[in-house]
Amino acid sequence: MAEPAAQTAFAEEALTHLDTLYRGALRLTHDPDQAQDLVQEAYLRALRYQHSYQQGTNMKAWLFAIMRNLFWDRFKGSRKDDVSLDDVGEFVLYDKLRDEGARPESDVLDKIAASEVVAAVDKLPPLHREVVVLVDVEGFSYKDAAQALGVPIGTVMSRLHRARQQLQKSLYDYAVESGIVRPGGMTQVSQQ
Amino acid sequence: MRCEECSDKLDRFVDRELTNTEALEVQLHLEGCPDCMEHYEFQEHLKRVVKHSCDCDTAPKAFRDKLRQILS
Repeated sequence: MAEPAAQTAFAEEALTHLDTLYRGALRLTHDPDQAQDLVQEAYLRALRYQHSYQQGTNMKAWLFAIMRNLFWDRFKGSRKDDVSLDDVGEFVLYDKLRDEGARPESDVLDKIAASEVVAAVDKLPPLHREVVVLVDVEGFSYKDAAQALGVPIGTVMSRLHRARQQLQKSLYDYAVESGIVRPGGMTQVSQQ
Repeated sequence: MRCEECSDKLDRFVDRELTNTEALEVQLHLEGCPDCMEHYEFQEHLKRVVKHSCDCDTAPKAFRDKLRQILS
């Protein structure tokens, strides 16, 4: 065990990443209580294994790796191969909106409530969801995301690509269901 | 650069993952191609929307305090 002062310094630095870990845990578990349990256990484990953390490397990625590994152990029995995304093909929301006359296309995005965007992220399978959380929400580089997830950078890129396709498909479906977009017709994006 | 190549590199451009040279090539293409520029701005906007929708959750203060106590 480290000296008390060193341990306190380590804990303080680790706690600066708490929001990232909590948000990640929340997106993975969908439950605030389970997210807190997961994060607490991750911090205790990090403290126990702090000797394996190399100073100067990315502590946030290291902590996230501990948290998501605990998630997979606890909730998925370490089985990471049993989830897949439906093949939506090359779904490009921009092209779809453009074809349907929604101009400017970006205005459609402003009409979609934040809660619907979160719901679309939550619908992604966990292996794809965690990559969106790391890269799009927390701003991790592909390299740091690869470190946190324990996969090659190419896997980060392919999962991210597929996740974004699915995400765009979900947002498009919502935009159609809620009348923001009318498929096949000239869509008017009304100003609120 | 052709539009197809620009489109292939758009994800990495938006994620700031291209080399400086590649990013400059994409930037130059975007400046001369309104269609690709619009597509790029849409992708940027989408990434921002995802971020802002998901990053408003923060750890509750009571939980932060509890963790600090446990870890000290």
